[in-house]
Amino acid sequence: MALDYFVLVFLAAVGVYQIASIPAGLEGLWFFKHQKVQYLFGVLAVIGAFVWFYTDEERNIQPTVEGAQQLVLFLGAIIGAYVATALLASIIQAKLRSRGSKLVKGKQHDLGMETLKTTTLFGGILSSLRKTREDED
Amino acid sequence: MPPLSGWTLWITGFVGKAPALDQAMGFLANDFFVPVAIGLVMLGLWLGHPDPFRREQFQRAIINASAAIGIATLVVRILNLYDFWPRPFLVADTVIRESATYAAQVVFYLPHDPTFPSNAAAISFAAATGIWLGNRKAGTVLYILAFLWVFARFYAGIHFAIDLAGGAMIGVVTSVMISKVFMPRTEPIPTLALKVARFLYIA
Repeated sequence: MALDYFVLVFLAAVGVYQIASIPAGLEGLWFFKHQKVQYLFGVLAVIGAFVWFYTDEERNIQPTVEGAQQLVLFLGAIIGAYVATALLASIIQAKLRSRGSKLVKGKQHDLGMETLKTTTLFGGILSSLRKTREDED
Repeated sequence: MPPLSGWTLWITGFVGKAPALDQAMGFLANDFFVPVAIGLVMLGLWLGHPDPFRREQFQRAIINASAAIGIATLVVRILNLYDFWPRPFLVADTVIRESATYAAQVVFYLPHDPTFPSNAAAISFAAATGIWLGNRKAGTVLYILAFLWVFARFYAGIHFAIDLAGGAMIGVVTSVMISKVFMPRTEPIPTLALKVARFLYIA
């Protein structure tokens, strides 16, 4: 049950990242070029995760996943889904659009997710490392 | 017997009359559906706004709501140490007991942890209130989810109305206290936490 719960949240979180990154303009998290396709993918990921979870087996039974364990699994799953989304988007965009090599201006602790509007997560990390090296030189 | 226990008899009387309704209520009363849905709405709000200033406001509301969920759970755990009254399917009154037992078996299962106050009501209303104070639209969605969750648990005969009202009140009061009184006094800790999160590309 714990693994099923983790998979449910992981898949649904990937869907939420795809949907929420559209209005936010966080292109560094996008899997698709076309926003409609991405939105559809996100909605299907969320609905599909719930449909799988609730049709796989009976879920109204004495809990085998307690509240505190649910919280830990939820946090683990949304962080895992974020890393997976960022990694996959970085690979896709590096292959398709040759992005990720831009030098991002400003300090990362001020910019945060704003970086993902112009580059991918790994592009941003590379840019930060380059800036640090340039500052040292 | 707690006050308003007659309401439990009335609501559980509907169970078994419309199987589709029972199934829908079973889905809503479930331990996972509403909490995960609430978490996903909060996750969407965390990164879904294009303006960094507004996004930070929402992120602060999410931090407040999360803290309120933790504190509300703690308050419920402390109150659970006192055995106020049994679950509806364990009371001495045979009419209420049999009706609630049937409802719980059809819609949900028979939980044996303390009934007052309801933890589900406390955490869902704490989340909804915390978010509502930062974003009215998302907060309203969470209030609807919270209401559906507690209503389904009332319908399933696993809580008295007073258990749910008590839990909801704890959630709302805790969230208001955290958001309006406690968190503003903890500055600059939330600001520093957000800076670290921004450095890690998660805020």
